[in-house]
Amino acid sequence: MTTNHESQKAPAPLAPPTSQQSPPPHQTRRSLLFGAGGLAVGAAAVGASWAATSSPAAASDGIPPDDDLMREHGVLKRVLLCYRAMTTQAASGRPLAAAHVQDSALIIHDFIEGFHEGLEEGYVFPRLRSGPLASTVTTLLTQHARGRVITQYLLAQTRSGSTLNAVTSTKLSGAMQAFVRMYEPHEAREDTVIFPAFRKIVPAQEFADLGQHFADLEHQQFGGDEFTAMVARITSIEQALGIYDLNQFTPQIAPYLT
Amino acid sequence: MRRRGWPAGLVAGALVLAAGCSSSAATTAHASGPKVTVKVATVTGVGQVLVTSKGYALYMFQPDNQRSVTCTGACAGTWPPVKVPDGGSFAAGAGVKDALLGTDPDPEGGTVLTYGGWPLYTYTGDTAPGQATGQSIDLNGGEWYVLRPDGKPLIPTP
Repeated sequence: MTTNHESQKAPAPLAPPTSQQSPPPHQTRRSLLFGAGGLAVGAAAVGASWAATSSPAAASDGIPPDDDLMREHGVLKRVLLCYRAMTTQAASGRPLAAAHVQDSALIIHDFIEGFHEGLEEGYVFPRLRSGPLASTVTTLLTQHARGRVITQYLLAQTRSGSTLNAVTSTKLSGAMQAFVRMYEPHEAREDTVIFPAFRKIVPAQEFADLGQHFADLEHQQFGGDEFTAMVARITSIEQALGIYDLNQFTPQIAPYLT
Repeated sequence: MRRRGWPAGLVAGALVLAAGCSSSAATTAHASGPKVTVKVATVTGVGQVLVTSKGYALYMFQPDNQRSVTCTGACAGTWPPVKVPDGGSFAAGAGVKDALLGTDPDPEGGTVLTYGGWPLYTYTGDTAPGQATGQSIDLNGGEWYVLRPDGKPLIPTP
């Protein structure tokens, strides 16, 4: 079944909000990750002439839009790991700290649902709505909507900011489990099917321009390097939950040695 | 100077396709050309509310404050504003008060239809007519509600 949403058929015009302040001239996450100018050269090579002159603040950007979205998926994955850790905690009878749930859900609310998904819904999904991925897109849109409801629930239930009782911990654990169960296959499908299909159908020039536009939108909405800020926030939550140290996830291989 | 536009071809496509165009006879037109029609319909869970000509629920955004379009950028990806195409018109369908219809400029270009001063948006989470899955959602910096025929948002009592 195709999505027949009459206002979703084309990407919204790309001008950023005028109600926001102009971004300060600072490094973006892209320049931090890849070094100033490195990928801008690549962007220019595929014809992103206006992108290179569009924004002094983002002039060294050049990350393709699909890479950008997948990087944001990395933030989502780390929140899912926190949700999973908290459901394990609740299952073992240890009450949840409202702040941990609240902080994790706020990252989803502010960055994933309030920005990342808007990019997907405004610029990626409309291009795929009339083709063979139409029903997949409809499901993804429905899942975005359901996820937002779960997030609203988690935020509402943790406003008190204290340690939660066993009943509430169990309820929140169920909500987080449902969220994880939905979003693991959701983002995997986007990374491996939706984004490659999007890249395939969008002309190179336009694709490069869109990457630049995503950078501009991020600056307009958050006024800074929000990706890096979000990574810092999720790191703090992981540390509080005791899941930050990667070593703990490395298996012992002795049992498997032949 | 920052470039704030998108390649002209895409902008044109968005303007044409974003609006719910209709040729309904039971309407009051405000101009000639492509027509955007708002009507009233019963939507699951919220009752009689404003919808597009195809039956998709219409929402207001509290930060707009009955004054201006503030949902832009990624927000407009999730909540596409109802655009009145250049040279087009808008019309009140059955149950809609013609005097409450109007327009506001969109900071991203074009014109957005308003009702009772509220810029109108659809929600990408509504994947079929007759849904209002965005009702009472707090997202993108404010709360979203469907609109009653009298132009007031349907805000649930606590």
